[in-house]
Amino acid sequence: MNFVTGRHIARRSFLKGAGTAIALPFLDAMVPAFAVAAATKSPVRMAFMYAPNGIIMKDWTPTTEGSNFAIPRILQPLEPFREQMLVLTGLAHRTGDGAAGDHTRASATYLTGVGPKRTTSADVEVGISVDQVAAQAIGSKTRLPSLELGCEVSRSVGSCDAGYSCAYVNSMSWRGPSTPNPPETNPRQVFERLFGSLAGIPDPAVRARIEEDRKSVLDSVTSRTRQLMAEVGSDDRHKIDEYLSSIRDIEQRIAFAGGERQVNPEIQKPAGVPPGFVEHARLMNDLLLAAFRADITRVSTLIYAKESSTRSYPELGFSDPHHPLTHHRNDADLVEKVTRINCHHLEQFADFVRKAKAIPDGDGTLLDHCMLVYGSSISDGNNHIHENLPVVVMGRGDGTLKPGRHLSYPETPMTNLYLALLGKMGVPTEKLGDSTGQATHLTDV
Amino acid sequence: MAGMDLETFAGRASILEDRTTGESALRMLKSGKMPPAGMPRPKEAELASAIKKLEDAFGTSAAVTKAVSGHVPPHRLNRAEYNNTIRDLLGVDIHAADDFPQDDSIYGFDNIADALSISPLLTETYVAAAEKIANIAVFGPELQPEPVRFDVAVPRRMETTNIVRITKPAYYSMANYDVTGLSQPGSYHLNYQLPATAEYVFRIVGAGNRPAASEPTQCTFWIDGKLVKTFDIADVSLSGFERRPDTWEARLKLPAGTHEFVVAFPRQFEGLPPRYGGPNPSKLPEPPPLDPERFRAPSTDNRPGKIEERRIAYERAKEQFAHPTWEGLSVTEFDIVGPYDHVKGASKESLQKIFTCGDQQPACLRKTISDLATRAFRRPLAAGEIDSLVKIAESAQRRGGSFERGVAVGIQAILVSPDFLFRIENTRAANTEPRRLTDYELASRLSYFLWSSMPDEALMSRAANGSLKNAEVLRAEVKRMLADPKSRALFDNFASEWLEVRRLESLNPDRDSFPDFNDYLRSSMQKETELFFENLVRNDGSVLDLIDGKYSFLNERLAAHYGIPGVKGQEFRRVDLSGTNRSGVLGQGSVLTVSSYATRTSPVLRGKWILDNILNAPPPPPPPNVPSLDAASAGSSATLRQVLEQHRANPVCASCHTRMDPLGFGLENYDAVGSWRDKDGKFPVDSSGVLPDGRTFQGPEGLKSVLRADKDAFANSLTTKLLQYGLGRGVESFDQPAIRQIVSRLPAADYRFSSLVLEIVNSSPFQMQRGTGTP
Repeated sequence: MNFVTGRHIARRSFLKGAGTAIALPFLDAMVPAFAVAAATKSPVRMAFMYAPNGIIMKDWTPTTEGSNFAIPRILQPLEPFREQMLVLTGLAHRTGDGAAGDHTRASATYLTGVGPKRTTSADVEVGISVDQVAAQAIGSKTRLPSLELGCEVSRSVGSCDAGYSCAYVNSMSWRGPSTPNPPETNPRQVFERLFGSLAGIPDPAVRARIEEDRKSVLDSVTSRTRQLMAEVGSDDRHKIDEYLSSIRDIEQRIAFAGGERQVNPEIQKPAGVPPGFVEHARLMNDLLLAAFRADITRVSTLIYAKESSTRSYPELGFSDPHHPLTHHRNDADLVEKVTRINCHHLEQFADFVRKAKAIPDGDGTLLDHCMLVYGSSISDGNNHIHENLPVVVMGRGDGTLKPGRHLSYPETPMTNLYLALLGKMGVPTEKLGDSTGQATHLTDV
Repeated sequence: MAGMDLETFAGRASILEDRTTGESALRMLKSGKMPPAGMPRPKEAELASAIKKLEDAFGTSAAVTKAVSGHVPPHRLNRAEYNNTIRDLLGVDIHAADDFPQDDSIYGFDNIADALSISPLLTETYVAAAEKIANIAVFGPELQPEPVRFDVAVPRRMETTNIVRITKPAYYSMANYDVTGLSQPGSYHLNYQLPATAEYVFRIVGAGNRPAASEPTQCTFWIDGKLVKTFDIADVSLSGFERRPDTWEARLKLPAGTHEFVVAFPRQFEGLPPRYGGPNPSKLPEPPPLDPERFRAPSTDNRPGKIEERRIAYERAKEQFAHPTWEGLSVTEFDIVGPYDHVKGASKESLQKIFTCGDQQPACLRKTISDLATRAFRRPLAAGEIDSLVKIAESAQRRGGSFERGVAVGIQAILVSPDFLFRIENTRAANTEPRRLTDYELASRLSYFLWSSMPDEALMSRAANGSLKNAEVLRAEVKRMLADPKSRALFDNFASEWLEVRRLESLNPDRDSFPDFNDYLRSSMQKETELFFENLVRNDGSVLDLIDGKYSFLNERLAAHYGIPGVKGQEFRRVDLSGTNRSGVLGQGSVLTVSSYATRTSPVLRGKWILDNILNAPPPPPPPNVPSLDAASAGSSATLRQVLEQHRANPVCASCHTRMDPLGFGLENYDAVGSWRDKDGKFPVDSSGVLPDGRTFQGPEGLKSVLRADKDAFANSLTTKLLQYGLGRGVESFDQPAIRQIVSRLPAADYRFSSLVLEIVNSSPFQMQRGTGTP
C-alpha cells in the first residue's frame, strides 16, 4: 500500500447511532498513513460470510473426520485451499422455538446466539453480534471499527415473515441488542467510505485546493456559530452548541491529519451496484480485501445473500428463486438446483480466499492472518433445521488455528466457536448469547 | 384520570394558576368520561354550565393567550424541509437528505423543533452534502454511468406454487381481467428519479412459465403510462412446468426527473392450452398428458422415506392434472444503467437562481453571494455577514482560478451556516415577554407550514414591505400558497404522519394470509390517500369529508381490491362511492392496513388509531404484566370479539378497552389489508359497537355517523394536530383557548380546509413567540 498520510485518526465514535449506511466522503482526512508499513506485526482479521436458506448437507459434510478427508461436492471450490480449511460439524443454534418465522430467527440469531423479540415495530431486540464484540474491543486501532457488506439490494420492502421486523433479516450485525448495523450494498459508497471522495482525483494540486476550500468553509461556520451562541436565548443555546462542537470535531480531525497525501486504494472506484450477482459479489470481495490489506478495518461481515432470499441466479441456467426452491420436498430436480446455488455461493467465497492467499501480508499472506467463517444459520432449508449447521473456517488466524481438518463436535452452540475465535483474536469474552464455553480443538487435535 | 385532585381548586384564581390540571378536567367533562359510569351524574344542564364556566375562566379570546405564549426553539430543517429548500434555493432536486440519518418524531410528527437535534454524524453529512450540492448547482452533475438494481420479491402466489394448490385472487377472472397485465401480481411498478437527461439502459429479468403447448406471449415495458417496448417471449419448451429465465433490454433517452416504470405481461390468460378454460385458447397440439402412474414406478430404493416421497409426488401430479394451475409470469429483477451521454453543465433553473448579474466583476460576486444568502437565511443580512461570506468566495476564486469556483464555495459556506440549517426566531429578549413575530419570521413559519420549504420571492417581498401584517394580504398569501403545487408537502409531511400512512412503506402484511399484497397494491393505497387529501387542499373541501366523504381516487388494482366494479386502467380517477361500503379515510386500504397486524385485524389497534388521530384522546399505555391476547385462537375456536370480551373482563383493562374496542369493531368488515369481508375465519363478522356512553352503532357507516355527530371533537383533534405541525412544537394547556376559538369558527366556514389553515395562521400561537431571556 502506498498511503503517505501524516497520521491516521482512531475514530472511536465513528458512525455511532443510526445511519451507518451513509457514505462520508468528506472524511478523507482520516485515511490512514503508512497503515500497513507502520504495523510491526500483521494483525488478525476476522470476517463472517453468509449464505442463506440452508445447504444440501449430504453434499457438504465430509464423511471422515480429521485430515485427509474427501472434499464433498459443495466444498469443491475450496479444494485448492484445503490446507487452510477447517470444516466444523455439530454446531447449532438452539434459539428457534419451532414457530413460524424460522428464516428471520435464523438471520438474527446467526452472529448473536439470541432469539429475536417478535415485533414489527421499532422495538427490535436481539443481542450484540460477535463481530461487534470484536469491533468494540479492537475497533479503535483502525479507522473503521468494522465493515458491513451485503450483495442484496433491498430498496423495496420484501418478505419479513410471521410478525418479525425486517431489521432482523436486513442486518446480521448488531451493535447492541436493539441497534442493527445494516450492510452497505453499493460498492461505490463502500469505496468512498474506505478511501474518501478525493481518491479519484489524480492531481495533488487540485486535491490540495479542495482541502483549502473546505477548511475556509469550516472556519467561517465556526466563527458564525460562535457568534450566534451569544445571540440566542439561554434555553436555546444548547442546540447551537451541539452544532458548534460537532463542527469543531471535524476541524480538529482535519488539523490532526494535516499535510499532503497520496492515496492509492489499488482498486478502481466502482460505478455502483452491478447488475449480476457474480460481479457484485466479487466487487464486494475486492473492497473487503482492500480494506483488510490497508488495515482500514479488521472486522467484517459479508452477506452474499440475505436469509430467506428469493434471488434467482439466471447465470446458472435456471431462474427459480432461491427460497422456494429450498422447500424441495426431496424432489431430485429441485435438490439439484439448490445444490448448484450452494456451490455458486461458495465459489464467490473461494474467490475471496484465492485473492487473500495471493496478497503478501507480514510474514506470510493475508489469508494466513485471517479467520473467515462461512456458513448458514440453517442446515436443512426444507425442514428449517438449525442444528448441525454448515460451517467452514478459512485461514490460520496468525497461527492460532490449525486448519486442514474436519472436526465433528457433539452438539455445541455456534456461539462457542465465536468465543474461541474472539479469544484467539485477543478479545477474551465470557459469554455471547447462548454460549457455554469455547469450542475446543481448533488449534490442537 | 388517576390522581387528579380537584379539591385543591378554591376558586377561579386557583384554576387559572393550574391551567394544565384545569384543562384536563375540562377535557374529561366534555368527552363525557367524567364522572365515570356508576358514579352520581349531574344533570346535563348543570354539566353544560360547568363546562361553560371553565371555558370562560380560561378565556376564549386571544388576549388571554398572549400572556402565556409558547416558545419555539431554533428549528433545524428536517430531511423533507432540507430537500425542498435546496430545490427552491438552487434548483437542485436531488433529495440529498434522503441519505441523512432519520429525524426523530414526537407528537406524531418529525418536524418538532425540540426533537430535531444535531449529531456528529449529521454534521458530517451536512458538510459533505453542501459540497456536492454546490458543485451540482454551479457546474452540473458529474455523473458516471451507474447501475441501479432492484431485486423484486416474487409474488407469494407464485413462490408457493410447488407446494400448495393456489386459488385465483378475487380479481382474477378469465372472462374479465386486466388484459394489459398492469394490475396482475407479476407486474412490476417503480417510481424512480433519473439524475440527468440522458440515455439509460433498462434490463428486465423475468421468471415463471407457460404450460407446455401455450401460444407464445409478450413482455411489455411502460414509462409514464405509455407503452414504449414490447418483447416477444419465445416458445416455451415442451417440458411442461419449467421456470424459464429471460432477460430483455432497452436503451432509451429520457429527461431528468421522476418517472414511472412498469413491466407487465399482457393477455396472460390467453393462449393457454384448452384444458385451462381461458379465453382464446391455444391452437397448438397438446402433448399427451403425463401419466401420474409413472410416479408409482417401482424403484430400487424402497426405504420408507423414499416410498413416502414417491407417494406425495404421485398425489401432487394427480391433483395437477385434475385441476391445472398456473403460476403466471413475473419480474424478478429490474436494472437501470446510466446515464450515458448526459447533458453536461448546470441546469437552466440553477443558473437563473444563482447568477443574478451578468459579469464576473467583484461587485457581481458580492451581489450573487448576498442575494443567495438573503434567500437561504430567509432574512436580510448585516453587512458584516455578507463580508465574511464574500471573503470565502474571493479566496476560493483566487485558488481555483474561476468566478464559478468562488460562487460554488460561497454556496458551500451558506449551506453549512447555522442561519441556513436552523430557522431561528430571535429569542434573546431581556425578559420572557411574548412578542409578535417579525414579518420575515412569519413568512418563514408560513412557508414551512404549507410548503415545508423556504418562502418564495412573492412572500419575501410582502415581508420586506411590511404588508404581511395586513390580514387581507396574509389571507391572499395563504390562498395562493395552498393553490400552489408545493402545498403537496401538506400531504407528504402532515397528513401522511397524522394518518400514519407513512408507515405503510415499511409494513409487511403476512404473505401467506394476504398473497396478493404486493408493492403495487401498497403504492396504490398510498396514492389513494394522497390524492384524497390533496383534493381536499386544492379544491378547498370540507375537512369532515375525511370522516365520511363518499368519494375517493382509485385505479383498477385498488378498485378490484375493494370490489368496486367499472374502474379500468392504471391511472387514478375520482370515483363516486355512493352505494359502496366505503367512505372517508377509514374506508381506505392505507389506514386500514397500518392499523392492523401483519396477520390479522385488531379492533384494539384500530380503536386506538381512531382515539389517537380522529378524536385526539389517546388511551394511556397498557399497564405492565397484562396477559396478551390469545390471537391464535381467534377465527378458529372463538371470534376475536369473544377473545377481546374476555380481556375486558379484567377491570384494569376495561377502563381503556371499553373506549378502544367498540370503535375498532365497527371496522371489522375490513380485513388487515382493507378488503371487504363478511366472515372472519368461519365466523360471520359482527361489526356492531356499544360506546361507553351507551350509544350503539352498526357497521363502518354507523361508526362514521357516530364520529360525525360530534363535529367539534374531530375539528378539535385536527386543529390540534395541524397547529402542532404548523408551529413545530407541542400544544400546551395555554394554547387550548385559541384552539377552541378556531374550532368555534369552522361551522360558519363550512369546515373548509382553507378556513382551518387561515384560522391557525391568524391565531396567537402562530403569530407570537416568547423569549427565553438571557441570564
